[in-house]
Amino acid sequence: MNPIHISVIVPVFNEEESVPLLTEAVRTSLEGSAGTWELVFVDDGSTDRTTSMVQLEIADDSRVRLVQLARNRGQTPAMMAGFREARGDVIVSMDGDLQNDPKDIPALVAKLEEGYDLVAGWRMRRQDKLLTRKVPSWIANRLIARITGIPIRDNGCSLKAYRKTLLDRVTLYSEMHRFIPAIAALHGARIAQIPVRHHPRRFGKSKYGLGRTYRVLADLVTLRMLSRFRERPLLGFAWTAFGALAVGGAFGAAWLVALLQFREEKASALVFPAAAIIWLATAVFLLMLGLVAETIVRHTQQRRANDTPLTRRMHGNDHS
Amino acid sequence: MSETLPYLSVVVPVASRADDLADVYSVFSKAVAAVAPDYEFVFVFDGSATTPDESFLKLAQHDSRIRVYELSHTFGETGALRTGIAESRGEIILTLPAYFQVVPGAVAPLLAALVPDVDIVVTKREPRHDPRLNRLQTRVFHALVRWVTGTEFGDIACGVRALRRPAAELLPLYGDLHRFLPAFARQQGLHVVEVALEQHPKDSRMRVYRPGTYVRRILDVFTVLFLLKFTEKPLRFFGLVALWFLGAGVAITSVLAVQRLAGVGIANRPLLLLGVLLIALGVQIAGLGLIGEIVVHWQAGDRGLYRIKRPHGNARSTPPPAAQSTTPRVQSQPPH
Repeated sequence: MNPIHISVIVPVFNEEESVPLLTEAVRTSLEGSAGTWELVFVDDGSTDRTTSMVQLEIADDSRVRLVQLARNRGQTPAMMAGFREARGDVIVSMDGDLQNDPKDIPALVAKLEEGYDLVAGWRMRRQDKLLTRKVPSWIANRLIARITGIPIRDNGCSLKAYRKTLLDRVTLYSEMHRFIPAIAALHGARIAQIPVRHHPRRFGKSKYGLGRTYRVLADLVTLRMLSRFRERPLLGFAWTAFGALAVGGAFGAAWLVALLQFREEKASALVFPAAAIIWLATAVFLLMLGLVAETIVRHTQQRRANDTPLTRRMHGNDHS
Repeated sequence: MSETLPYLSVVVPVASRADDLADVYSVFSKAVAAVAPDYEFVFVFDGSATTPDESFLKLAQHDSRIRVYELSHTFGETGALRTGIAESRGEIILTLPAYFQVVPGAVAPLLAALVPDVDIVVTKREPRHDPRLNRLQTRVFHALVRWVTGTEFGDIACGVRALRRPAAELLPLYGDLHRFLPAFARQQGLHVVEVALEQHPKDSRMRVYRPGTYVRRILDVFTVLFLLKFTEKPLRFFGLVALWFLGAGVAITSVLAVQRLAGVGIANRPLLLLGVLLIALGVQIAGLGLIGEIVVHWQAGDRGLYRIKRPHGNARSTPPPAAQSTTPRVQSQPPH
């Protein structure tokens, strides 16, 4: 059997109507492509007939596969299952609700082959509700770009192509599927973006809403911290400790000035020395936390030799 | 239905509470033999907390179906359970407490409930023969547990369970977490069902614990809440707490600032110190959350992230991501 070139990963949760249409669209789109391909549905614990619909497709076309998760775990674990099960060296992820168009896959793959590790699609003329979907998403994208320093136009678009070598070193957990490009960048991925088509939802309801703002913000703080201080957490904590030290120092200085000016009533006020002590103690505490973080990183890195940055050979013979 | 049961291991962790083990063994081995011809009993004594008595060891020597382990020191019931699971050989594991918790007749329905799609069967002791006070305690405790874990288990700490080996090996078994095993199993994506089995009359003594025990239980529940909801995203939890502290601190200091501008002296107000302290604490708590995130980021692996029920199609399910190469991967790219 030929090694598989492209694996298309589609997490599905209760998408029984979409499965046949999607399969057909992927087939049409990839029929002309050079390499072999496979289409992997990841059933994230659907309660409708999604599983049997996929099985019908499997009977029809051996390039279709189904990975059935034991329970509904959410999009990130489902995508991870698909990534790990994929056999191609190029992996394409897309939504199972027909809002992405498989016609865009060849363009994504072609772009990837120009020498990128990740090609993200961004949705042209996005067909979603303005107020609850597009506006929050616009704000979120600006924020994510600012915070992570990776200017991705559309983090919410699932249609992306990746190299297997990249995905092998990335572990996504919780709800990190929203930040794949930023996380990939932590591992040294070269990232490109191309516009993709977007269709309105045809079946079912959207499974998203606005209730995730706090979680996204908390995750963003984490990403910011990781993208700057992943390898050197002490540095990050030291900066914060420095800030605390400055605040403490300011209170201390105010106290000293009051003392030197013999302003009895101000110099005997409790608040200046006490606030200075609190902030100095905080600075020490933060430095100690930084050391704890440093210890964690050091110990883990010894066990994870695979966590080398992505590299490419610039000189010499290529044996890979 | 049960003639085809595969090899069954009965794991008995023997910690602080134990009835006469020879008695437990003879009663339950009969019940097990009736449904599973091929079985073994693995007794694990929890270090110095309990030691096997002479007569039991003699029994074990003469019965090839019994294996006895003794932990080198006291690890608690969870440690004994973990050892028992690791040392047992059966495809199906039945855990039993070292005392009569359910009637022997419960073994058959328990194992029967372990149908192919189910990974773990846990027990709810019902009907219960406990005195009223104990039943009330249990009810209050479980109301709290259900609220915190979001599960519907009615007797979460009951030691009578049937597990498939792969499921048993997936469980986090450390500390005191065996008490909440069903909730953690759920979190791992395992299919857990609960069956009602009759409580053994000997289990129904009046039990009133020392106050420390109640405090520990409640603490356990909150540990579990944290572990279930936030282990992957510690900052979401610490961040929330930090925001409360910061918010309170900022509110207090801004009220005082307004007063100061209005000409009221604030330099000796303890409230100002409280405000400053709350803000500093908020910063520290957020720092702890970030430490948590660093741990998760560096330790995150694929284990337990998802579980595949069944691959379909032209599929061998690939083994979990194999050993990764230790050398940097090199990607071909023409020299520029």
